[in-house]
Amino acid sequence: MYGLLVLVPIVWTVALGFTDKTRFAPSTEWVGFGQFERLAGNDQFWLVLKNTFVVTAVVVIVPNVVGLAIALLLDRETRLYRLLRSVFFTPVILSGIVVSVIWQSLLRPDGVLNAVLADLGVSSAPRWLADPRMALFSIAGILCWQMLGFCVVVYLAGLNAVPRELYEAAIVDGAGWWRRFSSVTWPMIAASVTINTVMLLISGFKVYEHILVLTNGGPGRNSTASIAFDVIEKGVRGDRIGSAAAEATVMLAIIVLLSGVVLRLLQRREVQL
Amino acid sequence: MRLLRPVGAVVGAALFFFPIYIVITGMLKPASQIQASPLGLPTAPTLENLRAVLGREDGLFWSSLLNSVQITVFSVVLLTLLSAMLAHYLVRSRASWTRPALLVLLAGLMIPPAVILQPVTQVLDLAGLMNTMGGVVLSNVAYYLPFGVFVFAGFIGTVPVDIEEAAAIDGASRLKVFWLVVFPMLRPASASVMIFLGVWVWNDFLNPLVILGPESGTTVTVGVYRSVGEYSTNFGTLYAFSFLASLPVLLFFVALQKQFVAGLTAGSVK
Repeated sequence: MYGLLVLVPIVWTVALGFTDKTRFAPSTEWVGFGQFERLAGNDQFWLVLKNTFVVTAVVVIVPNVVGLAIALLLDRETRLYRLLRSVFFTPVILSGIVVSVIWQSLLRPDGVLNAVLADLGVSSAPRWLADPRMALFSIAGILCWQMLGFCVVVYLAGLNAVPRELYEAAIVDGAGWWRRFSSVTWPMIAASVTINTVMLLISGFKVYEHILVLTNGGPGRNSTASIAFDVIEKGVRGDRIGSAAAEATVMLAIIVLLSGVVLRLLQRREVQL
Repeated sequence: MRLLRPVGAVVGAALFFFPIYIVITGMLKPASQIQASPLGLPTAPTLENLRAVLGREDGLFWSSLLNSVQITVFSVVLLTLLSAMLAHYLVRSRASWTRPALLVLLAGLMIPPAVILQPVTQVLDLAGLMNTMGGVVLSNVAYYLPFGVFVFAGFIGTVPVDIEEAAAIDGASRLKVFWLVVFPMLRPASASVMIFLGVWVWNDFLNPLVILGPESGTTVTVGVYRSVGEYSTNFGTLYAFSFLASLPVLLFFVALQKQFVAGLTAGSVK
C-alpha cells in the first residue's frame, strides 16, 4: 500500500514531468525534457524557486538560533520554567491553517499589530502582507513562530542529556560562560542540531497553507508563491499537470539532495565527538 | 541580576504568546469591542461567538468535527498497528532485502506531500476512493507509515529478542508472538507514534481539502479555511471557530504533556 500510494506516485510524478499532459487534453505525448526546458526559461519558475529558498533559509536559521537561546534560558527545573516551555510549544501543535488565520487577522492593514504600533508612535507601519518584498518575510516569520517551540523542546532535551560532571570539570579548569558553551554544550548537543535543522528544512520547503491563507501567492504575480504552492496551483487546482509534475520533480531532487548534504555534514560533526 | 533570567523568560514568553492571547480574548468579545480595544481583556465576556459557530444552520462545525474524529481515529489506529508490524518484521527478518526496504521507507520521511498529491488523486480515483473518507485515511496511512516505522524500528532494536524466541519455541504462531509478546512491549513507542500522528493527521489540510473535495464534507481545518471568507468582517467568530477546531489537540496536549515531550525526545536524542 505504501508502494501504491507513495512510491508509485513518485515515479508517476517524475514520468508526468516528461509529458505535456493537461487535464482536458484528449491525448498526452512524451515531450522528453521539454517541460524542464520550458521551466528553465520561465522567470516565474525562478521567482518561485527563489522564494522557496528565501523562506527555507530564514526558517532553518532563525528558530534554530533563537530556539537554542531560549532553551538555554529555560534550562531550569522549576514550575515557572516548565510552564513557559508549554507556552512556547503551543503553536507547534496548532494546524498551519489556524496559525495562518490568526496571523492574518493580526497583520491586516487595520489589524491588531498595526494598532499596537500606532499606540507606540509608529506612524507608517509596514504593509506586512501587501508589500511584495515584505510579505515573503512575514510568511517566513510566521513559520518561525510556529516552529520555534519545537526547537526549544528538542534543545532542552539535548541540554538535559549533557553530563553535569563536564560542566563541573570546566568550572574547575576556570572556563567562563562562553568557553563552557563552545567547548562543552555545543558539541554535546550536536544530535539536537541535526534533528532541528532537518525538520526545519523540510517544513520550510513544503510550506503551503500559510501562503494560501495569508497572500494566496500574491501580492502581484507569485511574489510569495513557494514551489509547493505553485505545484498544487498548477497541477491539482489548475490543469497543467505535466508542467506541475516537472516542477515537482525538481522539488523532489532538491529536497533529496539538500537533506542528504545537510545530514552528511551535521552527522560528521556528531561522529567526531 | 538574579531576577534577570525569570523576568526575561516571562517577558519573552508573553510576547511570543501574544497572538494566542488575542484569539482567546477576541473570541469572548462582541465585534464592537474587538474593533475598539483589540488588546484589552473582555470587559463583558460573551459566549455569542462560540454559540454562533456551534449553532450554525448548516452544522459545518459539527459535521467537520465528526469527519476529523473519524479520519484521525481510523488513520492512527491503522498506522500504529501496520507500522509496528512492518518495523518488527523489517528489523527481525534476516532476509537480505529488508535493509534496503527500510532505507527506502525512511527516505519517504522527506517527501513533501505536494510532490505526490496529483498522482495520489489518480490512484484513488481508479480505486473509486476519491471524495471518500476512506481515501483520506488510506493516503494518510501510506504517507505517515515511514514515520511510524522509523520510531518503532528504533525502539525494537532495544528490546531483547530472547523472549520472542522463547514464545516461538512454546509453539506460538508469528502473529500470536507479535500480538501477545512484542506489541505490549512496544507500548512507549506506540504512545509517541499515536500522539504525533494524531496531531499531524488532525491538523492536516491539503489532503482532506483535495481528496474530500467540496461535496463530501470537510475536516475542521478545511472548515476553518472555508469560513475565512464568510467571517471576514467578524473576527470574533473566526477566532471561535479556530479555537474550537484546535481544542481537541490542545486538551490532548495538556493531558499528555509528559508523554509529548518524552515522545519527541525519544525520537530526537537517538
